[in-house]
Amino acid sequence: MSFLELNQVTKTFGKLAALEDIDLQVNKGEILGIVGPNGSGKTTLINIISGYFRPTKGEILFNGKKISGLRPDRIASRGIVRTFQSNVLFEGTTVIESMLISAYQQYKTNHWQSFFNTRAWKQENEEVVGRVIELIKLLDLLNDTFLPADGLSHGYQRLLGIAMAMITNPSVLLLDEPTTGMNHEEAMFVVDKIKMLREQGVTIILIEHNMKVLMGVVDRVVVLNFGTKIAEGKPEVVMNKQEVIEAYLGTELI
Amino acid sequence: MMTYIDYKDVVPKAVIGLVVLLILLVPIITTNESTLSILILSGIWAIAVMGFTLVLRTGQFSLGQAAFMAIGGYTSAILTAQMGWSFWPAFLLAGLVSGLAAFLVGMVVLRVGGIYFSIITLSLCEVIRIVAQQWESVTRGARGLITAQPNPIPLGFFEINFFSSTVPYFYLTVCLVAFTALVFWRIGESRLGRSFAGVALNPVLAEHQGMYLMKYRVIAFTVAGVFTGLAGSLYAHFLTVLTPTMLGLWQSIQILIMSIVGGIGSLVGGPIIGSILLYTFGSYLTRLDIYGIQQLLFGAVVVLVLLFLPKGTGLVDLWGRFWTKVIWREKEFEMDEAEE
Amino acid sequence: MPPAGIWIDGLIQSCAYMTMAFGMVLVFSILGILNWTHGQFYMLGAFVVYYAITAVGIPFPLGLLAAGVLVAGLSILVKKIIIDHITGDLYVGVATMGLIFFFEGAASMIFGMQDKGLARVLPGVVDLGSFSVSYQKIAVVSFTLVIMIILFIMLNFTRIGLAIRATAQQPDAASLYGVSVERLSLTVMGIGCGLAAMAGGIIAPLYTINPFIGGIPMIMSLLAIVIGGLGSLTGAIVGGLILGFLNSVVAYHLSYLSEVVLFMLVVIILLVRPQGLFGASVK
Repeated sequence: MSFLELNQVTKTFGKLAALEDIDLQVNKGEILGIVGPNGSGKTTLINIISGYFRPTKGEILFNGKKISGLRPDRIASRGIVRTFQSNVLFEGTTVIESMLISAYQQYKTNHWQSFFNTRAWKQENEEVVGRVIELIKLLDLLNDTFLPADGLSHGYQRLLGIAMAMITNPSVLLLDEPTTGMNHEEAMFVVDKIKMLREQGVTIILIEHNMKVLMGVVDRVVVLNFGTKIAEGKPEVVMNKQEVIEAYLGTELI
Repeated sequence: MMTYIDYKDVVPKAVIGLVVLLILLVPIITTNESTLSILILSGIWAIAVMGFTLVLRTGQFSLGQAAFMAIGGYTSAILTAQMGWSFWPAFLLAGLVSGLAAFLVGMVVLRVGGIYFSIITLSLCEVIRIVAQQWESVTRGARGLITAQPNPIPLGFFEINFFSSTVPYFYLTVCLVAFTALVFWRIGESRLGRSFAGVALNPVLAEHQGMYLMKYRVIAFTVAGVFTGLAGSLYAHFLTVLTPTMLGLWQSIQILIMSIVGGIGSLVGGPIIGSILLYTFGSYLTRLDIYGIQQLLFGAVVVLVLLFLPKGTGLVDLWGRFWTKVIWREKEFEMDEAEE
Repeated sequence: MPPAGIWIDGLIQSCAYMTMAFGMVLVFSILGILNWTHGQFYMLGAFVVYYAITAVGIPFPLGLLAAGVLVAGLSILVKKIIIDHITGDLYVGVATMGLIFFFEGAASMIFGMQDKGLARVLPGVVDLGSFSVSYQKIAVVSFTLVIMIILFIMLNFTRIGLAIRATAQQPDAASLYGVSVERLSLTVMGIGCGLAAMAGGIIAPLYTINPFIGGIPMIMSLLAIVIGGLGSLTGAIVGGLILGFLNSVVAYHLSYLSEVVLFMLVVIILLVRPQGLFGASVK
């Protein structure tokens, strides 16, 4: 039984099928890349796994339990957390505030303990702040801790998005094109950070348009085109397949 | 869109002490009925405004808060005037009924956001007013209900008598304001209140981080409903009569103006400052003998505050800025020295 | 079946609500703000017409035009001095709520608080057998029609009108027509608020005038644009028509219940179909 499993997932908008009969198995601890040209259904896939859309057909199992049809917050609290393609932040907050807002969901002490400011809450609060700081350090945001989040550079905003997802302690992290709008150097920097996250034991599904970024990080890659899966396997193998090259033909291959 | 500033470091304990002292000394400073009545009514509005601000913290802009005051007010007025209850149980039940109403309404309407939510609450507010106006057998319609004064509280050799002076009612109001402030301050400081910010600032992101939007919105709306209902009961019993037009759309608008002018940066300070200043200002203006000047100046103040203290920072921010300039600098200075 | 007079009252109210709701939705869809002062512009329009006729002595149509122009100017001032300097739609909304008090106060000081009435601007009635209609009421309906036709022509055949319609459907479309956003929003503010004033002016001869008459029409046109669909120009007209008749004809049968029905209808529409009857789906 695989960790996260999609069975014949289909999503249609009106008559248009954004995804058709997608079967997908994700193993625990791996980095799975999902590539495909624009409009191939990559982001729809993330939207479906994270509960933003409900699949028209098919089901999604996580640890053997059905999660398709649940609200996004239920799915997130089961440990599947996503980032967004554009820079989606809590407007007007600083880096640390954004992180704390996300972290508040993972406390073990309940709301009453927090309301009455009990010792258990204070203690846990300190622990969580410690974890926030650690994560901020890991993702190289330390110098910006008290700066407004929307004042960060594009790349750092993406990293903050990843950090906010990570602080909720996910077991699966869905990254929606974390390197869009970056030059190669910046993209590689983000990729490095993603590799470091894997060492924390999180399973990562990485959606990417840019194949060069993917090659060095992912264990496996799935190629989508027009909403269907056209290839799956080791990146070096998949990228040389005829269908894949054709799908990318006319678009920037690398 | 909204900025939240933590004022807990900016309000020195000395100031809180001074305020407490002043409140305790009020009966010595003045026993003037009209001054006390202004203070009592600003306190009552302050409670409702705190409720509004709490709901706003979850990103919902309610134009129906006066309806919860009306529900609370009518609950206790009907119980005392029509059914012969005494004030205290009726007062508590007013909060419960209003909270229940807020919970039930909230479960249905809070899934809608933005301007849509505002118009829904505005409509419900008007429905409550019309019902109060037309259901004559219970509410006596436009003639209004005559409400009872709280019963005396015997304390052994001494009893607190609400009939002979306004001072006990003043302290009753102060107690409720203080209790509301305490609860709201704790909510603001707790995990719950901080999560509200997430829900308000970016609902989609918050949902994908595991926050169930409806949970937070319903909690805020219900808590606000309970306290607003209690405030409504105090309002009805203080003014001795409750008519449908006393708590309608205009009062909802007044509540929201007090909140924004006071400043939404803090859950407690802004609402209290906003309601005391605006209510006092408004009632002194009514004493001027020129028709219309009170509305004109009131409106002008609202617009000026929005122009010069933008984004809902409100009057409370003047306070914040003052302390940031005077006290903050010293703190920073000390920190620098410590580092060296 | 209610008597014919009730139907005519309904039509008259519809005229006012339609004109006013149209202005409100215009401002909402272009500037993105809900102008809570709309009712006070309606009130000021009624006063301008009143004084134009009683003090200056110009005929009703000219008074109506004056009301539109003067209030349009005033609203442009409000936009330049206040609205442009406040960031955040929420806070602009609150500022316009503050302006309600400001304008009502100013009107009370300048015009006094007593009820005023314009009697017999156009005396005479048309006898239609079982009932009669005064010329005044006919004039009200015809002026509304004229205003609507002018608006229709403007929105469909002038460059700025086309830009307005395009922008209402899709923000940032103004530039496609070579119209600057600033000019567009000023024009819309002027037209929108001028329409409110004309709505007030139109029915000024039929009802009493005082500084506080703006509140109810404001709420009614707000509900009208919700029913029609926030942001839909056609919706505002249909919503205004529905509300006018609801407030007279349905009220004839149900009395106050019609109001409860109305507000509950609005709540249900917003919960079930927030885009209203005519609004395009938001998502």
